Amino acid sequence: MKALRFIFYILLVVMMPVVFYMALVWVPPAMGLGDASRILYFHVPVAWSSVLAFLAAGYYSVRYLAKEDYRYELYAWNAAFTGLVYSTLTVVTGSIWAHISWNIWWNWDPRETSAVILLLIYIAYISLYSSLKERPGRGKISAVYLIIAAVVMPFLVFIIPRIYWSLHPDMIFNTKNKFDMESSMRITLFTSMGVFTLLYFFIINLMNRTAVLEKKIQEKIHDN
Amino acid sequence: MENRIYKHLKKDILVEFRNRSAVNISFAFAGITTIAVSLASGGIRLDANIQSILFWIIIFFSGMSGLAHTFIREEEERTALFLAIHSIPEEVYISKLLFNLVFFIFIALVVSPLYIFFMHAIPVHFTHFCLTVLFGSIAIASVSTILGAIVSKAENRGTLFTVISFPLMLPVLWIAIMNTTASLEPGAAPGFQSILFLLAFSGVIISASYLSFKFIWME
Amino acid sequence: MDNLLIHAENVSARFGNVTVFKNISFRLETGSSMAITGPNGSGKSTLLQIVAGLQRTVSGTVTRRVNDAEITVENFSAHAGYTGPLVNPYDMLTAAENLAFTVKDSAAKERVIHLLDYFDLYKERNKIVKHFSSGMKQRLKLIHAFINDPVIIMLDEPGSNLDSTGKDKLFAKIEELKAGRIVIIASNEQDEINLCGERVELGKQNI
Repeated sequence: MKALRFIFYILLVVMMPVVFYMALVWVPPAMGLGDASRILYFHVPVAWSSVLAFLAAGYYSVRYLAKEDYRYELYAWNAAFTGLVYSTLTVVTGSIWAHISWNIWWNWDPRETSAVILLLIYIAYISLYSSLKERPGRGKISAVYLIIAAVVMPFLVFIIPRIYWSLHPDMIFNTKNKFDMESSMRITLFTSMGVFTLLYFFIINLMNRTAVLEKKIQEKIHDN
Repeated sequence: MENRIYKHLKKDILVEFRNRSAVNISFAFAGITTIAVSLASGGIRLDANIQSILFWIIIFFSGMSGLAHTFIREEEERTALFLAIHSIPEEVYISKLLFNLVFFIFIALVVSPLYIFFMHAIPVHFTHFCLTVLFGSIAIASVSTILGAIVSKAENRGTLFTVISFPLMLPVLWIAIMNTTASLEPGAAPGFQSILFLLAFSGVIISASYLSFKFIWME
Repeated sequence: MDNLLIHAENVSARFGNVTVFKNISFRLETGSSMAITGPNGSGKSTLLQIVAGLQRTVSGTVTRRVNDAEITVENFSAHAGYTGPLVNPYDMLTAAENLAFTVKDSAAKERVIHLLDYFDLYKERNKIVKHFSSGMKQRLKLIHAFINDPVIIMLDEPGSNLDSTGKDKLFAKIEELKAGRIVIIASNEQDEINLCGERVELGKQNI
């Protein structure tokens, strides 16, 4: 495990600067949008990370309900917290991108709305968790909320944008043709997504291990 | 089990009827808000989009106070443990869900004619309008039931309920408002796709709630 | 006669970071009775709730069996009776309506009437519980605990708010039911503690 983590760490330390170089220097600016379009290479990975966070939170919640291992309660909270940070970043970078592409800061476009709703769900989860104070059922009740939210998400993310026309470039589920991008842009984007995924797992792993240690220390203090 | 659910419903209806506070307030709110909105609009016939938005805002807030109440009342009057001892979680969930469904559909039935009358909002596609109101109400009631159960175990129940319910209600309100607008405007009849969406949404929420309710109910 | 078992092993409870009690163990079989005693705040109600399965334990296990079958959430009220200060019937219903709600089999009508009569509530059965005195409410709560003829009886401060007649009747009822059942009482009252064979004492020494 430790060896694997070390490899991850090295990969990250090496690849992240590479990504920055590729996104900010190497790749040519998009036609008509200029250098400001480079935010794309950070917006998409960050949005993807917020979805990852959501999947992680859902996974940990289900594990916690299945077996009442206190660690999963902590992991779920960590996933929600990282999700909050990433979805805030998504909304901010998305707004900047919107201003660059269509000259409006916010549009209530279905995709944009889904991103805001995801953000609201994270805020709601954290508020709920705090409101439940030290109740013994706290982890389970929060887990149920997250699962209900997770069940609602497909409706938001996949179905509504299909029903209603969207200004948002439909990158992922474009069935007609692959990507309307030059190969260098494609490479940069995918590398960026890969590295940010690594970053996410690194962060969440670190947070999880720290949380478990903190809890153990707290228990030791109170037992003496 | 049906017998038990019937007993639960009967108990809830009796308690609510004798207490009357929540139900009364919801209906009063519905009536007063509709009249206030109509008064404020000065009798002018508003744009279909705005009519639809106001309509759903009125229904939504009229229902909100009452819907979470079914579970919150159990905690406030300290009958929750009594209820937990003498019943199984599935019975409790289904009976509360049914109560909320009936209650909210009733609110919609009260608000709709009042609104149509006062706001001159005559639906061009009547069936579509009715179906949207019906399935929208079912969806909102389904979400509120499980969230009411969640919130009843926490502090700051009023504000917390608004915070946690808003993101999950948004898809329902969004679709319902768009559909109602389409049914108020003359033109081609809108498709039934979105109504199916509301139904599917309700189905999924109810299934997920039924399976996970016991984790909330039994500490 | 049923073969009953309640076995608690190293049960602990925690409220936030404060340990309420630690490593409580006991074993009860058919015909045994136990009192849980201790100063206020020592966790008597908590322990009783954990034994009843109404609350989670931080560590340790509780096994509850009737004839070698585990008691689950579904058959809890059929096998076990529980009442305490936090268990309140519906204020806006009458005593009879509350009992109609909790009674499990409709054939138990005679038992309902007998219990109402025994605890002197038969005449007030159609009165709304809101208008009951605290003694009457307590007697109604006790009836709810006995209503389905449970084999495991758990009572949290059963004698509170009762006058001497009420208490005498309660104690007589418990004595009558002790044989063939398990009775657990959480209380600080000496006369209630004396009803039971075994004792578990909570307090500073358990933390």
